[in-house]
This record gives sequence, structure tokens and C-alpha cells, in this order.
Amino acid sequence: MARMKFLCDADRCIECNACVTACKNEHEVPWGINRRRVVTLNDGKPGERSVSMACMHCTDAPCAAVCPVNCFYTTADAVVLHSKDICIGCGYCFYACPFGAPQYPRVGNFGSRGKMDKCTYCSGGPEADFSTAEYEKYGSNRLAEGKLPLCAEMCSTKALLAGDGEMIAEIYKQRVIKRGYGSGAWGWKTAYRETVAI
Amino acid sequence: MGQDGKTLGRRQFFRALGGSTVVAAAAVASPMGATEAQAYDPGNEETKSRYRESDHVKAFYRTNGYETLKKNMDPASTGTK
Repeated sequence: MARMKFLCDADRCIECNACVTACKNEHEVPWGINRRRVVTLNDGKPGERSVSMACMHCTDAPCAAVCPVNCFYTTADAVVLHSKDICIGCGYCFYACPFGAPQYPRVGNFGSRGKMDKCTYCSGGPEADFSTAEYEKYGSNRLAEGKLPLCAEMCSTKALLAGDGEMIAEIYKQRVIKRGYGSGAWGWKTAYRETVAI
Repeated sequence: MGQDGKTLGRRQFFRALGGSTVVAAAAVASPMGATEAQAYDPGNEETKSRYRESDHVKAFYRTNGYETLKKNMDPASTGTK
């Protein structure tokens, strides 16, 4: 059984944020919520790195472990999803998640939160596939259409990989074998001289 | 018993009160144990696998590994144009 995974090739990511925009547009994500974002380390310095982050669909998901109402479930594709009908917006999952994936819409004054929202790996939610209810709550269901998450498909530098974990690991491994990694990668010394190493 | 042998003394009174409290607590706690929390189960239909290696997905793999995997992946079998 294929296990769905994301993998961001930090040697390729140019922080264009196309993945963020594609995700928001595809799922009509509300204001104030980004299911995906780009994190840059050492911004503006030689050797800066960017990585596109969203829910990583953990095998042993800490969000599911701390949820007081048990609204999380894992599909046969190893995608971690949740039910917004059951979520109470308590925020525990946000504190448990090492990637900061869970997001909450602001629904009123005094910091009151709505139902949690996060990356669904473009595979909808517990409602029937392609239903209006599913789209309104979770966005489109590209996986059921035989496609992969749009963030990865949109990536212009092919930094963000998605799909069967074994397949994208093989793609990444072949890249590293061919071009190297970090300061050993092709073009690094031309760009940053030999004094900058990772 | 009190000195007259009929009424409860101070020590007997608190002993009786403590015993009745334990019985009451057990009576309250037992229904809570019966309603154990259940994990959300959306059913087999919604958790079934939806991923399939369609032509679209194969094209994604092929283009992402184009530098390195093109020798290993036959374009005719990947359904690409």
C-alpha cells in the first residue's frame, strides 16, 4: 500500500510561495489561514535555505494523540484527516504539532477560535467524495481524481515532491547522487564560495 | 454509641459518615466508567485508499525525476505524450 508523503528539496526551493498560493486558491482557504507556508533559514545570508511546510501526515500523529474529542483519523493512504463536525477548536493539536500545521479561523472577538483547518493532502474529508459539503469544509479532493496535491504539482523548480513515499524518496536519492547536497551540490561554490558550508 | 447506649457518639458518627461517602462516590463513578470515550470512526468508505498511479501521477513522477529517472522509466509505459 502506497504511503503519501511530502518531501521538500531545500536545494531547489526558491521561496516563490507558489505552493502557498496554489493551495489557498484550490481549496478556497479562508482569510487568515495558510495550510502551507514557506520557512526561510538564514534569510539574506549566503547559504540561506527555504523549505515549504504543511501537515506532514505523521505516522504516529501527535495531534491525534492529544485531541480530546478524537476527531482525527488516518486513511489507508496514510493521510491524516479530521472531522470539522467533531472538532471543538480547543487548539491542543496546534501545541502538539511540531510543524505548526493546524490553523484556526478567527470567528469572533476575544480570540475565539473556529474549527481547526489543516492540509488534507488534497484528499477532502469524511464527507462523500466531490460533495459540496466536503468542498466547503475541506476543499477539493484531487487524490480521488487520480491527481496529487496541487502545491507539489505547481512547484516550478520541482522542489516540493508529493506522492508515494518510496517513489519520491527514490527521486530525491537520485538527485543527491547526481548533484550532491548542501554545500556539496553543483553550483554551490560558484554561488557562495568555499567558505560557506552546511 | 453514646453513654446511654442508644445515640451515636462523635467517633461513631464520623465513621458512619465516611462509610456512606465512599458508597456515594462509587455510585457516581460507576456510570462514568461505562461511557468510555470512543475514537472517531468515519467508516471504511471514507478511509479507503484513493491514490492510484494514474497517467497524471506517472507524468508527475517522470517530470520530477527527469534528470535521473528517465533512463529507468519507459515513456510509453508512463502514458506521457
